[in-house]
Amino acid sequence: MRIDTAVTFAEKVGKHLFVFAAVILLWEGAGRAGLIDTILLPQPLEIAQGLWKLYVVDRTIYWHFAVTFYEAFGGFLIGGGIGLALAVGSALNANIRRYVSPYAIVLNVTPGLALTPIVIAWFGFGYASKIALGAIVCFFPVFVNTLIALTRVDEETIEMFRSLGASRWQTFLKLQVPEALPLVFAGFKIAITTALVGAVVAEFSQGTAGIGVLMQRYAFALQMDNAIAALLSMSLLGLLLFYLIEILDDRIVFWRRDARMAAVSRRRQARWTARATPQTLRPTTQKHQEETACATRRAS
Amino acid sequence: MSAAGDSPPRAGGERSGLVVVNHLLILATLLAAWEIGSRAGVLDPLFFPRPSSILAGFWRLYVTQGNIWPHLGLTVGEVISGFLAGSLMGIGLALVVGMSDRVRRYLKPYVIVIEATPRIAIGPVIIAAFGFGWSSKVLIVMLVCFFAPFVNTLNGMLNVDEDDISMMRSMRASKLQTFRLVMLPNAMPDILGGLRLAMASALGGALVAEFIASNAGMGVLISQYTGVLNMASAFVCVLTLTVLGFAIFRLMEALDRFIVFWTDAERMETVSRRRARRWAERSGGRP
Repeated sequence: MRIDTAVTFAEKVGKHLFVFAAVILLWEGAGRAGLIDTILLPQPLEIAQGLWKLYVVDRTIYWHFAVTFYEAFGGFLIGGGIGLALAVGSALNANIRRYVSPYAIVLNVTPGLALTPIVIAWFGFGYASKIALGAIVCFFPVFVNTLIALTRVDEETIEMFRSLGASRWQTFLKLQVPEALPLVFAGFKIAITTALVGAVVAEFSQGTAGIGVLMQRYAFALQMDNAIAALLSMSLLGLLLFYLIEILDDRIVFWRRDARMAAVSRRRQARWTARATPQTLRPTTQKHQEETACATRRAS
Repeated sequence: MSAAGDSPPRAGGERSGLVVVNHLLILATLLAAWEIGSRAGVLDPLFFPRPSSILAGFWRLYVTQGNIWPHLGLTVGEVISGFLAGSLMGIGLALVVGMSDRVRRYLKPYVIVIEATPRIAIGPVIIAAFGFGWSSKVLIVMLVCFFAPFVNTLNGMLNVDEDDISMMRSMRASKLQTFRLVMLPNAMPDILGGLRLAMASALGGALVAEFIASNAGMGVLISQYTGVLNMASAFVCVLTLTVLGFAIFRLMEALDRFIVFWTDAERMETVSRRRARRWAERSGGRP
């Protein structure tokens, strides 16, 4: 059974690799035959060379990579944090919701990227302006997803919580938050890629370091192989940020996935038993011994 | 996709007049605080323009100088043409591709990688390749608008209930009929969701393309005004874009209600009543 699935998995991967190789070969061949303008769209081999140069020979890209990662993640933390706080406030209090959401909507329909020059004028040419733009563009996905998630909880379940005498705070912590978390994380996933877009666009506008700067420099020097290598690094960065949230999602919202759910409940059970042994079990054994002793005495 | 394009739920109940008055009061207080803070020297008017000077800027840019109009027209033109071309291509390609199970499976890894890449990031490459003019902007908007409808349409096609398809088959529907009656309506909400995402990013794409390199358009106008620290005029441009974005948002919402009427119970009822009436009229005409 297991071998079977392994074989089909290998087969699947093999097929994918085959298709990939075929596309690459076709591209390379077309480039060599002169069907594609290789200045504008370099051949795969040249892009691979560009990657080699950037990552192994030159090695400056690691610094740019780290800078953009820092900007995007910082923007996500700030914008997402504000979005989360305002959404939680709005979910708990109808007045806050009423007076916050119009401004949030206005901010949403404004293309945040239009603010790039203004943000740069406000925060300067350094990292701060990139982080700020990232925060502005990633605020809304977190805000709206959290707010929707927290407010769409089933009315009957709330009723049940109330009838069991749960306080408002308990209802929030034990019902609304767990119900909302999957959608909140979906918002985080959108937001972190958006924060990356914000950071990169700000780098295009003005900047001294970062993958956006690197890419623009290469593109305008018509070194397309290097530019596309930088673009691929940006995809890599996007995937990295995305999976960072995905891992968090997996850790925190464990009940959504069966395997994780089983693992976590097993661990909790083990911990519970370990904790229970010294305190609860020992008196019972003692009591049990006494009882046995009593029984023995009575019998004799 | 998630609910990121939707508006947050309204606070419960109807909005009474009192609430509107409160809203206006809060807004007026904020603006007054801003104005006073700026005049008192707490906020640097060089960076945070006063509401009054923004208002004056509106008058200047739209009426006395009127120099915003050509830029606005250009950007709107880029957005509309790029959006139409890109999203139609995306939907069309996904519909063709989505018919085949195998192609869909092989495309999936690429779609994931493309989704993670900031689409606008390709901007400098396109501008280097196609020049500083209008065509490169349209191309960038096209690219930005291509992927969301493409991916969403593909997803919508993927999520069709297999039972529905086998029922169509058992009733001897042709492949085209299955497509038209089951797959397309099923994918429609997703397609429109994709269109909405594309439209939301189209404006941003055009602006970024103009920031990178251009000689006309709202993006250019904003960076020029910011460059000379004429913040009031830059804010006028941004607020114009806010209004534009809001119009686009409402337009997409209306389209959504019009096309996928069956997701909204009230609209569903209206449409089915109208259709029933029309059907009765037609069959009444023919005995």
